[in-house]
Amino acid sequence: MNLLAIDCATNACSAALWLDDAPGPHRHAVMRRGHGEVLMPMVAEIMDEAGLDFAGLRAIAVTTGPGAFTGIRIGLSAARGFALAAGLPVVGVTTLEAVAAAQDSEGYPLLVALDSKRDDIYVQLFESDGAALSEPLSMLPEEVADILPAAKTVAVAGDMADAVLRALADRDPPLLRLTGPDLPDAAVVARIAARRFASEPVAANAPPPTALYLRPPDAIPKAGRI
Amino acid sequence: MVMRVSVYPLWPVPRKRDIRSLKIPPAGCTSQTMKVLGIETSCDETAAAVVTGDRRILSNIVLSQTEEHRPYAGVVPEIAARSHLDHTDRLIAEAMAAARIGWDDLDGVAATGGPGLIGGVLVGLTTAKAIAMVRGLPLVAVNHLEGHALTARLSDGLDFPYLLLLISGGHCQLLAVKGVGQYSRYGGTLDDAAGEAFDKTAALLNLGYPGGPAVELAAQCGDAGRFALPRPMKGRPGCDFSFSGLKTAVRHTVAGLPGGEASDRDATDIAAGFQQAAADVLADRSRHAIRRFLSEFPSESPKGRHFVVAGGVAANQRIREVLSATVEEEGMQFTAPPLNLCTDNAAMIAWAGLERLRLGMTDDLTFAARPRWPLDESANPSGRIALGQAR
Repeated sequence: MNLLAIDCATNACSAALWLDDAPGPHRHAVMRRGHGEVLMPMVAEIMDEAGLDFAGLRAIAVTTGPGAFTGIRIGLSAARGFALAAGLPVVGVTTLEAVAAAQDSEGYPLLVALDSKRDDIYVQLFESDGAALSEPLSMLPEEVADILPAAKTVAVAGDMADAVLRALADRDPPLLRLTGPDLPDAAVVARIAARRFASEPVAANAPPPTALYLRPPDAIPKAGRI
Repeated sequence: MVMRVSVYPLWPVPRKRDIRSLKIPPAGCTSQTMKVLGIETSCDETAAAVVTGDRRILSNIVLSQTEEHRPYAGVVPEIAARSHLDHTDRLIAEAMAAARIGWDDLDGVAATGGPGLIGGVLVGLTTAKAIAMVRGLPLVAVNHLEGHALTARLSDGLDFPYLLLLISGGHCQLLAVKGVGQYSRYGGTLDDAAGEAFDKTAALLNLGYPGGPAVELAAQCGDAGRFALPRPMKGRPGCDFSFSGLKTAVRHTVAGLPGGEASDRDATDIAAGFQQAAADVLADRSRHAIRRFLSEFPSESPKGRHFVVAGGVAANQRIREVLSATVEEEGMQFTAPPLNLCTDNAAMIAWAGLERLRLGMTDDLTFAARPRWPLDESANPSGRIALGQAR
């Protein structure tokens, strides 16, 4: 199956195609802002390179978060817009599972830690084969100890992995810092989504995926004050 | 074997097209038969609409977020942006279905590109870019203020030039509308927008949210003469507004009441006084603008010149009465688009997009959303004016 994957949810922007059973053309750029400006040219370039248009796709895949709220929404609005105009379903993949799938954790359980641009970080614990051992969570780096299996080596990846290592420097056995990619990449998102779609196709009229923010909006109810 | 599935089975599957945005309107379409999809997500309304070159509104769907923001007595940007993401694609599908057209019938896609709350703007703009890319349609990133400014051409078929008073929760300005993309800003607010003053007054009087309709309702049975409230800027040269002094006067008036709180009776009287003061200020500033406009654009018959009021505050009946009387006195024609086109909507965005499209004024898919975007960029480089436009 052919599938287009995009990711704008963190400090990177990427787009990738999955063609039949193999990775297709791919673009990736590390950037803090401006995802909304570079995404469409990236998609146009890889579609051109593959000689494909949207009628040749089976699905759109997108990262739903957690990550930067604005970036999550840019990715999801693009994916949902593509899907709407091309009559395609959308497959949602989390940033945490996208980073996890890019690692070789050497048989150890894997913790992915991503930047929330606040004090707390986004984390999720996985089995070495990629199966989730926790929900996606938002917590302070020092609180991460609470979700780790006791007395076991745990591998860590993600752009906040170093913060976790610093916060849990005294842990025994020590955490293992992985050297795989620390940010999500649409190429990995495409692979996850293609596998998922093949085993459980998204049903007709299924509601499109929504954002995984992990945090409510910062707002305090008030009345009668200005 | 996986079947091809369609999330929105409202129109045929796409035929092959160039995926890049076209720079010119497709050949063979006349400006009369053009159809443009408009998307508006710059504040607290998610909206989608389809309009035609012969001024027909084929669909115009608006989803208000008022209930989501009510507990906060104001628009919370993050709540607004989340809500826009949840609803924009569905509303577009509804607008297309209600217009009884398919993607191939469209000649362009227009979305608000600013000014406004950036998180929301990005949702509508990015959705529009995606649709434009898939369907090979030109994209128009519309200035929200231009949407308001050109509405009277959609609703009333006005010719250029005309004078516009735009009064809403986020904007308050007087503009000479000379052509598509051609505006002279005569004046604007130095501090709060008119709608903000209504919201804040409603909050001070515990009248509820949103403040505009609440103040108007309370004012109906109030005595506008009981409390003396100022008319900031009235009688001063030029066309600028100021509303923060009026808001402060309301606060002091409330503080000066027994117990520092307004009774129901006090609240209705203050609301009536505030509304009259706001109307008087708007009328005075508009009178200055009318005189300037008529000297710059003299006409054999001044009655042929239109004064247009737009924006959510234009829904206020007292303000309409006072403005209409002033405009009549000064010899211009008073025009107010229907209320559903005065408040934020996507038909005005689709129309402004259509007007730009037929002049070949399209935008790249790299267009960057603009939280601030004055209509008359050459004339007001100062931050002071941008303040009045920021939400």
